[in-house]
Formats: sequence, structure tokens, C-alpha cells
Amino acid sequence: MTEAEKIEVRDITRIERIGAHSHIRGLGLDDVLEARAVSQGMVGQKDARRAAGVVVQMVREGKIAGRCILLAGEPSTGKTAIAVGMAQALGTETPFTSMSGSEIYSLEMSKTEALSQALRKSIGVRIKEETEIIEGEVVEIQIERPATGTGQKVGKVTLKTTEMETNYDLGNKIIECFMKEKIQAGDVITIDKASGKVNKLGRSFTRARDYDATGAQTRFVQCPEGELQKRKEVVHTVTLHEIDVINSRTHGFLALFSGDTGEIKQEVRDQINNKVLEWREEGKAEINPGVLFIDEVHMLDIECFSYLNRALESDMAPVVVMATNRGITRIRGTNYRSPHGIPIDLLDRMIIIRTVPYSEKEVKEILKIRCEEEDCVMHPDALTILTRIATDTSLRYAIQLITTANLVCRRRKATEVNTEDVKKVYSLFLDENRSSKILKEYQDDYMFSEITEKEEDFGIGGGSKRRLDIGAGDAEAMEH
Amino acid sequence: MSYQNWLNYLTSAEKNSMISGRLRKVLYKFPDGQQMAEDYNLDTGVVLRRAWRKCKQLMGQPEWEIELGEEPRQLNWSGNTTNGAGGGDAANTPDDDFMLRESNTAPLLTKRVTKKNIEWRIRNMPYPLNVYNVSASPEQHSIIVRTTNKKYYKVIPVPELDRCGTSPAQSNISVHHQFNTLIITYLKPPILCEMEAQVLLLLKDVETETDMDDLLKGLMAK
Repeated sequence: MTEAEKIEVRDITRIERIGAHSHIRGLGLDDVLEARAVSQGMVGQKDARRAAGVVVQMVREGKIAGRCILLAGEPSTGKTAIAVGMAQALGTETPFTSMSGSEIYSLEMSKTEALSQALRKSIGVRIKEETEIIEGEVVEIQIERPATGTGQKVGKVTLKTTEMETNYDLGNKIIECFMKEKIQAGDVITIDKASGKVNKLGRSFTRARDYDATGAQTRFVQCPEGELQKRKEVVHTVTLHEIDVINSRTHGFLALFSGDTGEIKQEVRDQINNKVLEWREEGKAEINPGVLFIDEVHMLDIECFSYLNRALESDMAPVVVMATNRGITRIRGTNYRSPHGIPIDLLDRMIIIRTVPYSEKEVKEILKIRCEEEDCVMHPDALTILTRIATDTSLRYAIQLITTANLVCRRRKATEVNTEDVKKVYSLFLDENRSSKILKEYQDDYMFSEITEKEEDFGIGGGSKRRLDIGAGDAEAMEH
Repeated sequence: MSYQNWLNYLTSAEKNSMISGRLRKVLYKFPDGQQMAEDYNLDTGVVLRRAWRKCKQLMGQPEWEIELGEEPRQLNWSGNTTNGAGGGDAANTPDDDFMLRESNTAPLLTKRVTKKNIEWRIRNMPYPLNVYNVSASPEQHSIIVRTTNKKYYKVIPVPELDRCGTSPAQSNISVHHQFNTLIITYLKPPILCEMEAQVLLLLKDVETETDMDDLLKGLMAK
């Protein structure tokens, strides 16, 4: 009994962490795609949001494949925020894959393989399949645990409908499901026979009197009719990548869980594309194209860009949204300079959304929203100072001060952050500007400051040699 | 009231046949991806087993679904259907690692076909005969077994009758109960016997090592 209680407590206290963009719940648009000033965690950036809303609409309709959208703008002008907002606006049904440009550089997988996996993760397929489910009211449930606490559990359950009653033996895995769902006598449940998924529909009406105190969310349902085992059509949503992995013979579907998929042959992909198209024609499957978001897209190199050129032309391509904060810069892997570090031919296939720096008023709104998100009560004066700091330094720095100021305020046992707290953390933590200023002033006192510009190449070479020496020393030490 | 559709469907299939012991095994591969296997008794020409393999959506090997005949049961039978025909994943599911199975005291339905009748046996049914109510349901194209003590309920489809376009009739049903088993017997209507004879004629053309002529001669003479 006590053990059961412990498990319960552990389930309830789930910690939700607050991320940089966890306050965003959508794009904050109204029905006609006009941007509201402050809505769903989004502030300002009206043109970009309106444009993103149009893109979302395009994805929802799902007819257009392989379009490319570039979010371009200065650092901390809300490019990632708009992408997160798009993901939220599209909902959980539409696949939204988010990756960073640097993620493709792996030793285990070629760059293009990583890209094509990402592209295929962003195409969902809804498949209708007939499965056998068991639907009934629990009459009796027995789960015996061995006295030692570990080992096989033995379970039996009796299910009934209005017409019949059957006993089932429970396997180990499904016992866990029963315990997690806290199934007890009187519940109406469904069990998916193939996957072993247990689902609680509610409590039976006939058991309504058993407890006088029931939670508000307890649903009462009728006892099911007819046979216990039924065939029902269920809809699975999988991504093309998942189908690829299941069918790549070398690893089998277990690779999905370990994440170690390796390279998937192009033949397998072609076969699956054909199969999916066939299913679509037969009306068994529905293709649900999503969005691939590549942040820091200037980190991709010329090979990836030319691969993307080709990949975007396939009719199985998702809508690709990219974000970059670079201006005219070198394309990675070449010596050519190009706007945003992206070759002109790919830029030509894109539509570009520009994000503009936030005004002071908008910065204040964002800080207010972040305060709410972090459960921090802030005095209006403190907020004004913080806004000032944000415009002078950067928005990210100001957002970080919220957390620290809140902690300082709690140390003096106050509930509201005041100007003193903000001033204190401002003096405690440097921003990038002040830090580099100090570096310039006291350059000579830091280590290795004797290296002058001219000698730099040589100096770096020496440094790395020195590091090598240290490494060798370590290895020696290990041997002894 | 015609079995022509079914005959056409069988004709469209790619058929393979082999003889093992006194059984002739026929495998049909239909153009829509389904497969059907039948075992015929060479002495009587009666189907002993028939199983379907329907194509699965999410790839993977589909399992055989037995339409009639006994399921091969072993002593330490594991009811886990997922590793029945499992190709790759059978290895990592040990024998006792089942999800969920009916307890071995639960009623078990089997079906078999004789020359004149279709028979269903429901084993592990301890209740007396007057508890059961077996009725034909032409709307659902099936036979429904009810119990007055609300312990068992089953809708039994009759695919044979569907294939020749008729529905089950109450007058053809008879019920017995003995040795913990409920036996439901359904007298085959003449059109069904005719269809089965036609199917046998069709199978005559399917190449197999032995000659089917002798067998058929005996059958047609009845």
C-alpha cells in the first residue's frame, strides 16, 4: 500500500522547466491572419508574424511541396520565436521538426543523410488500420506481486459487457499499463490487442454509488454492449522516416528507440514512397506534410545547399523554414561571399521574411511576459530599468537578469522585485559589452597577451603543440 | 443468389497446390494482395482448414487468420499473436512475454465443415442447453449465440453463405450440448453444395503432382 502511494506521488510532481521560448503558445493572429499586438506570448514583429501566418495556412492546406522560407534578421529579433509559434499554431498533428544547422555534422552519418532524414521526419502519414480491441467493464482485477518485490508479476482480469464475461491472463508489460492507469473494478477500459495499450474510458454507471466522493473529472459511461473483442478502425500518424526505419532490414524497428538508424538506402526510400502513394490512391493513407525548421542555416555548407536544391524539388518534400542572423558572408565550404551565406540559386527559390529589431515598448511587453512565465512579480519601476538595460545591451541579457533578480529578491524575503535588486544583479553580472570593454582595458594583464597580431598564426601553432604535449603526458600517466 | 463473384475471384488468383499425406494444400494469391490457404481431404473432398492472410498497412509480415479448422495448439501455448508469424521480432519476445490472452478456461470457438453441414464447437461451456439461445440474423449475415446468464455472446459470421449470396436461416440451425461443449450445426443449403463442387472443378485445373480426376469422379457421383 505504501509503495503504491509513493508511486502516485512521483507521478504527480512532474517538473516543468522553463525554456527560452516556453512562453510562446502560437503566432498570435486573429481569424483573418492579422497580427494582434500582444497575444499568445508574441509581441510586435507584426509583418513577420503575418507572413508566418500565411506560411502556416499554406502548410495546413498541404498542397504545396518543397517551398522554402527564410527568416532573416539581426540576433534576438524573434526568429526562433516565430518558428516555435508556427509549430504551436500547426498543432500536434502536423509534424514539425526543428534542427540546428550544425546538427548535420556527425561522424556516423553523412551530411546529406542527416538532411534527408530530417526532411522525411517532417512528412507525416495518417494510416487507417483495422485492429482488434477489447472493450469492457472491469469486474475483477487481481495482480500478484512476488514477496521479494522483483520478478514476474501475475495478473488476471475479468471483463464484461452487457452480454458476456471473459477472464484474461495478463502479461508483465500490460500489468504495468494497468498499474499506471490505475485500473480498478468498475472502470470501463479498452485494450489494443496488438500494441497492448490500455485506455480508461470512465467508470461504469452501475458502480456510481460505490464511492460518495469522486473527482470532478470522473466520467460515467455505459457498460459496452455486444462482444468484448471488436474490430475497429484506428488512425496511426507516423512519419516517413519512421516507416523507413521500420523497413530498413539491417536494424529493424528497434532502431527507432535507440536512435541509431545508420544510413538508410535510397532504394528503401523509393519503395516506401511508391507504397505510400499507392495507399493514398486506395484511400488507406493520407499524407500530412509538415515543416522542417533549420536554425542557424548559414552553418550548412555548399554540398548541403546543392543537395537541398534537388531535394526540395521532390513532391514528397515538406515546407522548409530556415533562420539566419548573418548578412553578406562567406558560404561555408567555399571562398565566395553571398547574402545570408546561402548560394544565390537557393536564395532564388526562397521567400524571405525579415524580422526587425523590437521597439522599446515591445521589449517591455516581452519582459513582462517572461516575468509571468518565470512566476516573478516585478515592480513597474524595476521593469522600466530592465527595459532600459535591454535596449542598451541585449534582450537576452535582460531576460537572464529576471531570473537572477528574482533570486536576489527572494534572499531578502521580499515578494516583489524592486529597482535595487535589478541594480544589484546588473553590477554582479556583466553583459557582453562591458565584458569586452574590460578585456580591452586590461588586455595586458591576461595570460598570453604578449602574442601580437602578426605573430598570431605562429602563436596558435605553438599553443596547439603545447596542448599536444600535455595530452601525451596524460597518456603516459595513464599507462603507469 | 449466385456464387459467380466468388468463383471469379478464385479464378483470378494465382494458385499453387501440393499433396502431403492425404491432404491437398492449395495456396491462392489474389491480385489485391490477399492470400488464402486451404487444406482438402483427398478422400472426401471436404475443406479441413482455410486461412486468410490479409495485407497489413504498416508493412511487417501479416499473420494468418484461421477461418475454419483447428488452430495448431501446443501444450505451453502462448496466445501472443504478435510473435505467431513474427519475422524479426520473434527472437526478442520470450515465450512467457505475452501481452494478454484469454485464460484457458474461457470458451473457445472452432469451426469445421462436413459434407452436409457446417459445425461450430464452443468448448469450455459448462452451462446446460436451455441457457443458450442460438439465432440466425440475416441482417448481420451471421449466427448469434446468446446466453441467458450473460456469460457468453458471440456473433459468428458465415462467410460461405455470403459467398453464394444467401443469409443464414433459423430452420437450418440445430444445437446440442455435451461434454462441456456446445455444438451448433448448420445444414448446408443446396446452393452452397453446388458452389463447393464448382470450386473443386476449378481446382482440378490447378497443377499438382497427383491426379485429381479420380477423386472428383467419386464426388460428382453422389
